[in-house]
Amino acid sequence: MDKSEQTQQQQQQQQHVMGVAAGASQMAYSSHYPTASMVASGTPAVTAPSPTQAPAAFSSSAHQLAYQQAQHFHHQQQQHQQQQLQMFWSNQMQEIEQTIDFKNHSLPLARIKKIMKADEDVRMISAEAPVIFAKACEMFILELTLRSWIHTEENKRRTLQKNDIAAAISRNDVFDFLVDIIPRDELKEEGLGITKATIPLVGSPADMPYYYVPPQHPVVGPPGMIMGKPIGAEQATLYSTQQPRPPVAFMPWPHTQPLQQQPPQHQQTDS
Amino acid sequence: MLPQEQDRFLPIVNVSHIMKKVMPANAKILKYFINFITGEASNKCQREKRKTINGDDLLWVMTTLGFEDYVEPLKGYL
Repeated sequence: MDKSEQTQQQQQQQQHVMGVAAGASQMAYSSHYPTASMVASGTPAVTAPSPTQAPAAFSSSAHQLAYQQAQHFHHQQQQHQQQQLQMFWSNQMQEIEQTIDFKNHSLPLARIKKIMKADEDVRMISAEAPVIFAKACEMFILELTLRSWIHTEENKRRTLQKNDIAAAISRNDVFDFLVDIIPRDELKEEGLGITKATIPLVGSPADMPYYYVPPQHPVVGPPGMIMGKPIGAEQATLYSTQQPRPPVAFMPWPHTQPLQQQPPQHQQTDS
Repeated sequence: MLPQEQDRFLPIVNVSHIMKKVMPANAKILKYFINFITGEASNKCQREKRKTINGDDLLWVMTTLGFEDYVEPLKGYL
């Protein structure tokens, strides 16, 4: 066996080792930390296992199946959206090819010219510029409306709302220049992927108790890895558990007990 | 007596009143769009030492800023 074959074997062994350790660590990590949806909905991070609960292997496979289904659905949805947009642009192209009268416009050219002239640096504007802008603005409104409508349909609604336009703007980088127009709170909600309806109504921050979720396994030391030797399943789990966990943030839970009303205290005034 | 043509529709004043509630946001978005494209086209003209913004400048800017889908249909207007 020559040197090149030896190095190839070593590389393969290293890859095998890395694969096992990474896979195990991912499983260990995902099972102990709350997801974003948990934090948003206000469910506790650590839940006690119920006697009727299925074994871990079954639950993980069920989770995997659900995740795959969700991914597949999301992929289908994206494809449908892409088709809609492609159809939109092809329709626009056909419409312009069939246009005979270029003098009638849905937007006033004088107003467009006035908006263009609002920029101090603009000196002269050719006659074709407002005409192009009139059509470009029309297409821009149509595209933004279509993208907003896609968001409306995703939320199983039939009425296009302001937050749908905010969603369309925040999802597409091309519309970044419109971020100043849309209210900040709507953009934040769209970014989080949660709506006002799903956020639990809680009192002031002072009313909310804070809990700290400690790490489930003690951190033994820095993550280790044996290079060049294949390792067994036991060792793989050992190394995966040694990986340091990120600190878990303080998570507020809404109060379930009603707050006791204190009798009003009368201040003594100087007579 | 047959109902008049106008009586079969909703009053125009009421309809326009409803439309005006939505209009400011749309008008604002379009104004931003025009200003955004015009500003970049103006910069291009200044770099090239020209005074007049023409259709080609607008199409070039649209391509640069990510509105390349608009360019092919708009070429028919040049």
